[in-house]
Amino acid sequence: MKRLTRVLTVAVLAGLGAASLSADTYTPGEPVRGKFENLAKEFLDYHCFDCHDGETQKGDLNLLDLGPVDETNAAVWKSVWAQVSLQEMPPKKKDRPEVIKRLRFADWIVSELQRVMEDKGGFHAHLDPKKGNFLDHNLLFGPLPDGIKLAPASSPARIWRVTPQEHITRLNELINTEPQFDPKKPGLRTRGDVVPTNHGGELKLYFGTDRIIKWQGGTVAYATSVKSIPVVLSSARKHGFENYPDFYTVNSAEATQILSKAEDILRYMAYGPLSIAKPEQITDDPKTYAPEGDLRGLPTAITYSTKIVRPMTPVHELMKNPGVTDKGLRAAVDYLFEALTFRPPGKTESDDYLDIVKDSIDKVGKENGVFLGLSSIFLDRDALFRPELVETSKPDKDGRVMLQDWELGLAVNHALRYLKPDAELRQAIADGRMRTRADVEREVTRMLADDRIRKPRILRFFKDYFDHDLGGYICKDDKALATTGVASRGNSHYRAMFDAAASTDRLIELILEKDKGVLKELLTTQQVVATRADNSYFGRKRTSEERSAAQVAKKKAEAELAKKVAVDLKPIVAELAEIETQLKNLKGDPESRKILKELTDQKKKLVAAKKKIEGNKKGNQNNVNIAVAEAKLTGLKIYSRVSHRSFGNGSMKPERTLVTAPEGQRLGILTHPSWLVSHSDAMDNHAIHRGIWIRERLLGGGIPDVPITVDAMLPDEPQMPLRERMRVTREDYCWTCHKKMDPLGLPFEMYNHAGLFRTTELNEPVDTSGEIIDSGDPQLDGPVKNALEMIQKLSKSKRVEQVFVRHAFRFWMGRNETLNDAPALQDAHKAYRDGGGSMNALIASLVTSEAFLYRTVEE
Amino acid sequence: MINRRNILHGLAAGVSSAFLPNFASAAPSIKSGGGPKRVIFFMQNQGFDPRTCIPAGMKNSGSLAGIKLPEPISALEPFKERLQIINGLHGKHTSPSHSAFFGALGGYRGSDGVRPSASTIDYELSKVLPETLLPHLCVGMDSMENMKGKPTVANLSASGAGQPIFMHSNPNHLYEMLYGGISQGDIRSQHEARSGMFDRIEEMAAARGKTLPTADKQRFSQYVQGFNDINGLRGRLGKVSDHLRKFAPKVDDRYTNPEFETDWHDVNLDLGISALKSGITNVLTIGSGRGEIFGAWKGLGVEKQGHNLGHIDQPDNPIWIKIRQYNSRMLVKLMEELESVPEGSGTMMDKTLIVYTSNNADKQHTNGANWPVMLLGNCDGIFKSGCLTQLDGKRPINALYATILETVGVNSGRFNMSEQMAAKFDSGTGSLKEILA
Repeated sequence: MKRLTRVLTVAVLAGLGAASLSADTYTPGEPVRGKFENLAKEFLDYHCFDCHDGETQKGDLNLLDLGPVDETNAAVWKSVWAQVSLQEMPPKKKDRPEVIKRLRFADWIVSELQRVMEDKGGFHAHLDPKKGNFLDHNLLFGPLPDGIKLAPASSPARIWRVTPQEHITRLNELINTEPQFDPKKPGLRTRGDVVPTNHGGELKLYFGTDRIIKWQGGTVAYATSVKSIPVVLSSARKHGFENYPDFYTVNSAEATQILSKAEDILRYMAYGPLSIAKPEQITDDPKTYAPEGDLRGLPTAITYSTKIVRPMTPVHELMKNPGVTDKGLRAAVDYLFEALTFRPPGKTESDDYLDIVKDSIDKVGKENGVFLGLSSIFLDRDALFRPELVETSKPDKDGRVMLQDWELGLAVNHALRYLKPDAELRQAIADGRMRTRADVEREVTRMLADDRIRKPRILRFFKDYFDHDLGGYICKDDKALATTGVASRGNSHYRAMFDAAASTDRLIELILEKDKGVLKELLTTQQVVATRADNSYFGRKRTSEERSAAQVAKKKAEAELAKKVAVDLKPIVAELAEIETQLKNLKGDPESRKILKELTDQKKKLVAAKKKIEGNKKGNQNNVNIAVAEAKLTGLKIYSRVSHRSFGNGSMKPERTLVTAPEGQRLGILTHPSWLVSHSDAMDNHAIHRGIWIRERLLGGGIPDVPITVDAMLPDEPQMPLRERMRVTREDYCWTCHKKMDPLGLPFEMYNHAGLFRTTELNEPVDTSGEIIDSGDPQLDGPVKNALEMIQKLSKSKRVEQVFVRHAFRFWMGRNETLNDAPALQDAHKAYRDGGGSMNALIASLVTSEAFLYRTVEE
Repeated sequence: MINRRNILHGLAAGVSSAFLPNFASAAPSIKSGGGPKRVIFFMQNQGFDPRTCIPAGMKNSGSLAGIKLPEPISALEPFKERLQIINGLHGKHTSPSHSAFFGALGGYRGSDGVRPSASTIDYELSKVLPETLLPHLCVGMDSMENMKGKPTVANLSASGAGQPIFMHSNPNHLYEMLYGGISQGDIRSQHEARSGMFDRIEEMAAARGKTLPTADKQRFSQYVQGFNDINGLRGRLGKVSDHLRKFAPKVDDRYTNPEFETDWHDVNLDLGISALKSGITNVLTIGSGRGEIFGAWKGLGVEKQGHNLGHIDQPDNPIWIKIRQYNSRMLVKLMEELESVPEGSGTMMDKTLIVYTSNNADKQHTNGANWPVMLLGNCDGIFKSGCLTQLDGKRPINALYATILETVGVNSGRFNMSEQMAAKFDSGTGSLKEILA
């Protein structure tokens, strides 16, 4: 009876003919005009009220009173949008809306939320990379239903803030000369690579460390003495894609800091270490600078060599000679402008900055005035943002304008590099040969093919995609860390994690160099880039029986060693005693000087030998880790990129070995400690985060936000395995979302929370089973024994490849994909496959797509 | 019980609170109209040994009346009745050996090279206390070479995860920032040059923003607004320059030609005090030693400097007696200066809380099991005073910070400590009743 009423109501409403969800064609991106009464009410009525009205309140949700979108019901509408977009609601067994109707309804909600929240902080959820998967995968890669008419693709005109990594690499270029690419040691840090984080995971710019030949003190003293400035621009997120244009601006605190750091940088450009040290500290003979007292931690504790290694710039020229000339000033202004904005200044820009510098010099003299005035260039809009505004061209019939000249050249450059355009690209732009798709293809292909041209942006994609570089920032509880079996004293674990991030980066680069089956390789490779610490991290956690046995063996070995030492010592001790007697007898006898000398020499040798043997008693037993069956990782010597010396002799080292993982325990990056620890917490694994990762980044699924009233915490039961503690997520209310995550994360329980392989958890065999549910690819769905089986299945899936392509699209376009981007996505996937799984082909396809090349300007 | 109905019913409150700051400001303060109006954090590095402040033989909580304070803090004797020594808080979770850095005022894991994982208590207070032109001022005192070579370092305060706040150490720069509008000589020229440049930058930035698309306009306007803020601060300070003239310290040789680092320490303190008295700021953080394990006090006749200062046992040691006495003289100066400014029916000191402690718990090599703190000022009787409060070592410094926040009307429950962490590191919930009157 109720249903009949509803159907009639719908018919009446449809008959009214006003804007309706089922109108003829749907073009994504077109505004959905209509009010609640004639658009949404119909949908809610037909698809929702059966279960969500005053009488039946499935899930305790009553939508009967839900009216037009306003700020008080915005959260409910946002949930509705999520559930409908993800096709969670209406549920499968109910009548589901057709595609166009669903898309329109979702679009309508978003535009209403945007309108209503405009002066209340705005609505941006749909722009979030995490919500990119709310767009149905099958529509992007499958046939489109009749009635959907795609518009030509483009991205909105925008300014894109420079990333923290790009910014600090730009500044680094001003004061440090990085080495040229060495094809014999391709892993070493090279000019053009991003500035790496330091021993503590901080991103810092270091001054003059390449000239330090001596310092007082150890690690912390060194770190305090050297001049360094931290990265200024901030990144608000840790997980996933960090750098959509929509997210960022530069605030006053950042601007103030940039300005003050700019002066430090400019002074160093002019004077080198003299700007941070006294003249007597700069000498090639450290003995000539030997100040008294404890200078540890002070800038005066350092000795610098005299050889100039930093780039020589017009700033240096300007300050070298007394007085100021317009020519010298302009040269400095223009040089800095291009170094910071990546393009030469226009006439007005150059004049404006020249005025500022001259003005400052007038007020405070040359010395301070030059540095104050030039520092203003560091705050130029284009030094902190990259414009894609297409202001000089007229839109085509679809309202799009193609990027041109400098904007195009810098966009293409930014897709790959953190340095300013190289000579060839710069020339092409200047010559007007950066205007067409063919131009872009030419430059991109050229840059991709040349290893000497460093392309840190590609590595950045993989860091944002895998999130494998967060391990060192996860604080571990001391006891919980100690039980994993890894060295847990002091900062050794965190150090190992930062080393592991650099190692994983290098592994990714090795796979990118081969450029075949890139995603599959990343997911299934047996190769590992390892440090010594990795013998533990890639080892196997012993069971308690094995541990006891190892303890016994260790004690036995110690006892045997002690015995051997005693045996070895016996004759030496005896001989020593004899010599003592002889010496005593010969004392005072002038004839026996020669014999005396022989005996004394022999005594010395024996004493030394005795000391050595006694030293061996301690032996290597102290270093034997009984908790872990260590891997024996040996292989080819290679390198990875690490920061300038930041911690004295304790600084990060680039040396690595390329090894094979122990048999049957690992499969690709998702089983490496760097990734595992990055998705863990203080006490244990984080199966939910891992599950989310798999669901979003490989399966293309979307997960609605945690409801605000939920206190998302697992019970504190240290004697329970994680799986058991996660029983709270299996309750009805929680399971609808958690079934998308938990069964994908629990297979990783075959590793403990430091990433070591294990067969037991809390002395019981560990349960590593899981399940792929509702992946969208029926061949993938089904139970899995452990992470290895799960990853093996996923690595073979075409859908997973497509989801990977979607993420690459987001990264390089700086926005979520829309339905209009379906052709570009399909092209990109095809290019990837045709290239045999080639990342270069994928990138080239994306960067030459219309979505990348065209911008829409709003009216 | 969590269910959808509750969500919907609670939605009006829930949704609107999503647009207010994270902490609920609806909770009533502990005493209505009570709580400090300004807070000063004085962080002496290398550790605060409790034997340098707790009278010998005092083991339990009790009054300080009739008991003589130990020599290092003897300067506080006349102010004893507003002193509360709190012993027995812990900071084991902050990794305080060799300084907890941001962890000391943050109540989270710190240590060398670890970036701040959240905002610190001084910043949070500056957001809640009555608004001023410059809500939070951080001043750093270090060896001369370090203050000159690195005039701004950030080790103690943060406005958020990965967002350190810098301490000012060069008094000339700090004077220029606060009093540029009424300054003279070199400082004035610097001020005018800087102001002129900032105005030009703001103009140029605004011009570049005119043709941006709407969404980008908003983001870019925040950028331009940033210059507005910087210039605005100068402008606003300029507008009250007549008022500031009364409080601005005199620039003497110590600024431009310091003989010892303590010259700069003294004038930096003066600048901090003047900022409080003039109402420019309500939260002052003083980092004596700037949060590191070095530092110098040659001006006190202490020849030793740097790391080894932290390897000396503090009680009865002449070097540490001198340093702690110097700190105490600074605290006395703070109190006396604030007492000289009338406020309401009393003086500024009536509503001021001074928190004195170390960023390195009780000593350089420590596990943080004991973290002594001295509070000066009882804020109209909210805090206990004239006594030692001995706690049992089971409540963390976070609880002290949460308590201070409560006194200014912020009921955040815990401060920078999740329930998971609290299960291990906090034996209780809510404020530290033991330190409140």
